[in-house]
Amino acid sequence: MNFTFRRKRISGVLVVVPANERSFVTDMKNFNFPQSRSLKLKEVMGFDKRRVVGPGVCVSDLAVFGLEHLLERGWLKRDEIDALIVITQTPDYIIPGTSCIVHGRLGLKRDMLSLSISQACTGFLIGLIQAFALLEQESIKKVVLVNSDVLSRKVSPQDRNIYPLIGDACSITVLERDTEDSVIHANVRVDGSRASALIIPAGGMRQPHTPKTAKLENVGDGNLRAKDHLFMDGAAIFNFVQTEMPPLIESLFAHAGTSMDSVDYFLCHQPNRFMLEKLADKVKIPRAKMPNNMVGHFGNNSGATIPTVMSFNLGERLLREKLHVCLAGFGAGLTWAAMLLNLGKFNFNTIIEYK
Amino acid sequence: MDKTEFYQRLAEILDVEEVKPENVLKDFDGWDSLAILSVLAMADAKYGVSIKAEEIRSVVTAEDLARLVEAKRK
Repeated sequence: MNFTFRRKRISGVLVVVPANERSFVTDMKNFNFPQSRSLKLKEVMGFDKRRVVGPGVCVSDLAVFGLEHLLERGWLKRDEIDALIVITQTPDYIIPGTSCIVHGRLGLKRDMLSLSISQACTGFLIGLIQAFALLEQESIKKVVLVNSDVLSRKVSPQDRNIYPLIGDACSITVLERDTEDSVIHANVRVDGSRASALIIPAGGMRQPHTPKTAKLENVGDGNLRAKDHLFMDGAAIFNFVQTEMPPLIESLFAHAGTSMDSVDYFLCHQPNRFMLEKLADKVKIPRAKMPNNMVGHFGNNSGATIPTVMSFNLGERLLREKLHVCLAGFGAGLTWAAMLLNLGKFNFNTIIEYK
Repeated sequence: MDKTEFYQRLAEILDVEEVKPENVLKDFDGWDSLAILSVLAMADAKYGVSIKAEEIRSVVTAEDLARLVEAKRK
C-alpha cells in the first residue's frame, strides 16, 4: 500500500545502547557446533560485538534515560510533546502499554496522545507512517517516536540461529512539520499467513507461560530453545527478504516517480551483513550505498536498527547536510516496508550509553 | 547447468575438497543453517532460482540438490 506525506520531517534522532558489550567469540563456546563453523558464521554474517541490557532492564528504562538526556540538553521540551508512540514487542507489562509507563515516569502533560504499538523490525517505518499521519492534525506539532526492544532477554544462549545476532537498544526520533515543501513516499506490505516464521510461541494468551514453556528443548538442529524464546526460521526469512523486498522497493520508486540513482543511501534494517549484501546485489545497487556494519558493533536491535545505522554511519553528516535516502525494514508479521525521503539538518543525531 | 561447477560451489560452501553426487548432505559437518543459507543465496545469484527452505531440507544427496536447482531453471 502506497502512502504520501507532505511537509513533514524528522528533526532529531537519539539512540540509547546498553554499555554492556558481549562478544561472539566468547558466546560461541555455548553452541553445539564445531568452532570452525561458528567462526565461518562470524565471518560471513559479520557478527562480532553486540550490546545487551543487564538483568531486569526494561524498554521504559532505556526510553526514559534517552528522553531525559534530550530534556536536560534542551533538545526537546516536555510540554511540546503532543504525541508519544512507543513501539516494542518486549513491553514492560501486558497492561498497560509501555507508552503510558514512559509518560508517567517522565511526568508528561495529560493533554496529549499516548500510543503503544506492537511491531519489531519494520517498527521504525510503521512508526514514521503513524507519526506523519498524526502531524496532519492541527493540535499535533511534535511527535516523539520510541522504538525499543530488549530481545536479548527472550533468546536462548544455546540457539546459534539467533542468540549471536540479537542486541538491545532504544531509538528516539522527533518528528515535526517541515517549512519546506517536502514530499515523503512510503510503501507497506504484510503477510500474516507467515506469522510463525518469527515468533515467541509462549507467554501470550494462546499459550501462557508455564514452567514447561520455560524448559530448554533440543529442537533438532543442534540448538536448544524453550517455547518462551524467540524462534526464527532463518532460511525462510532469508527467502522472504530476497523475494519480497526488491519488488517493494521497485514499486516505491515507481510510485515516487524517481530512480534509484537519485538516492544517496539505502538505510535498511540490519539482520546481518550477508543478507544485506545479497539484497543490495538483487536490487542492483552498489553495496557501499547500503551500510551493513551494524550487526558487528551493536547486534540486530530490532526496531532501532535504522536509527542506529543512521547515527553510527552518518551522524555528523546528517547534522550539517540533507541526504536523499531510502529506508527499508522487514521482519515479524511478516511485515515489510520502505520509505523515500530527505533526511538531515537534524537538531541532534547521536548514540549514548545506558549504564 | 554445469554440474561439475555446481558441486564445486557446494564444496566451497561446505568447506571440503570435493562433493560427489551420491554424498548425503547431512553427513557433512558443515551442513548447518549457514550452509543452507549459502545454498539459497548461491542458487539465487548463480542460477537465478529461488528455492524454499522446506524444499532444501527435504533433499538428501548432493545430486538431489542439483536436480532441484535444475528443475527450477526450466
